[in-house]
Amino acid sequence: MSNENGNAYALTTLCPLMAVCGQDASPAALIRDRLHIVNTGAWSPLAKVPNVYFSRLLILDDVVYQSKPHRLEHLKSQYLVFEASLHGKLGPFLEGMWQCAEPFIRSMWEFCVGFSEVRDARTFTAFIEKCQVKTTFFFNGSTDEPLAEQLKSLYLKQEFSKFAYDHQGLSAKELQAAFKAFIARVEPENLARPTWRAGATDLSNVVIP
Amino acid sequence: MSNLAGKANAMTLITPIDGQVMALINKGIFFFLGTRFLKHKLNGLLTLSMIHYARWVILSARDFPRLSAAQPAEELDYSYMLFFSNFNGSWAQYVDSFSVAIPDGLDGLWWRNVGWPHSVPEEPFHRYVTDNQLWTSHYHSAYPMAASNDIKSAKVVKDQLRAFARDTERDEPNAFLERYNRLLKSLQHDLGRMAPTPIVSLATQAVDERRRADAHLKA
Repeated sequence: MSNENGNAYALTTLCPLMAVCGQDASPAALIRDRLHIVNTGAWSPLAKVPNVYFSRLLILDDVVYQSKPHRLEHLKSQYLVFEASLHGKLGPFLEGMWQCAEPFIRSMWEFCVGFSEVRDARTFTAFIEKCQVKTTFFFNGSTDEPLAEQLKSLYLKQEFSKFAYDHQGLSAKELQAAFKAFIARVEPENLARPTWRAGATDLSNVVIP
Repeated sequence: MSNLAGKANAMTLITPIDGQVMALINKGIFFFLGTRFLKHKLNGLLTLSMIHYARWVILSARDFPRLSAAQPAEELDYSYMLFFSNFNGSWAQYVDSFSVAIPDGLDGLWWRNVGWPHSVPEEPFHRYVTDNQLWTSHYHSAYPMAASNDIKSAKVVKDQLRAFARDTERDEPNAFLERYNRLLKSLQHDLGRMAPTPIVSLATQAVDERRRADAHLKA
């Protein structure tokens, strides 16, 4: 049983919702409404968080009844399910998440039991750790490199594929000169730029120059 | 609300397991899947190559987080297994691929889950997945334009390109050309340009069109 597979980490949390929150709608309905209008892609608040490969949020209203002859049972609380597949250790990830997405966190977790005690990155980490459940089995079908390395790799794959296509049939001298200019432009060792933007869904805005 | 983020598709399932003993047996199956005795059972998952990351989480009533004495403790006879997958392609492609490629593996991963119909035939299996699936309210992928295979290929391209750039810095043009051609031959499986996903959901397409129209109105 492990939350880790190499350098990849599987965070799974079930954050219990308050039964009531003093508003006309239930906490679950309010959080759903907020989640449905959160920006997506490169504008998702999670796109700013370092080292998150994938993440999702959803409301677990109840368990699912399997029909007769099986037993009918219900959860006593609803839960905000937050899960992420990320690179590295949990502590630095949660600290980075607080630094990069505090308004989003405050909005989405506002109606969760125990969130009222969250004031900063340290108390947010403590809160999430209380809500965390252990992964039984974590399958990694990708790589476990830091996200910045993955995004740089994708940028290089895209650019070098184009270079190879565009520079066919040149003389050795011309090709070498073009390749040197290409390497100077794409800076393979520089992870900061040029690279791909996390979460980008369109070729027109995917490159950070 | 969408289970889609470009080429990535989020599947979330919650399925019951009958009692503590059966939950322990299922945890044992997963434990042995991580060892050399049963690791080969996952070869089908690797071969399918559609999955970025997936996880299984088995919970009993006492495992549900309880953060306050005022929050009622869960009272459940069944244990529950949560399954989260981040995969490429459509729901039907994914479910059918599993059913065809690793039917025995699936029956092991959901061994004796309540109501599990077996992975073959496909129609009852489809119904089971549909009935037990939870819908994602917000889904984020760091690389919506890349498939799992693109991530792995990109690492190969990056590693070889960096080494090539270093190693050929002082080459004469003809020697450079020879090594360049060798590089392309070595990378022919991994090169190829990426682009936004084809449409796998008419609902997502409708949302995108609506957003574009709204942006146009605001402008």
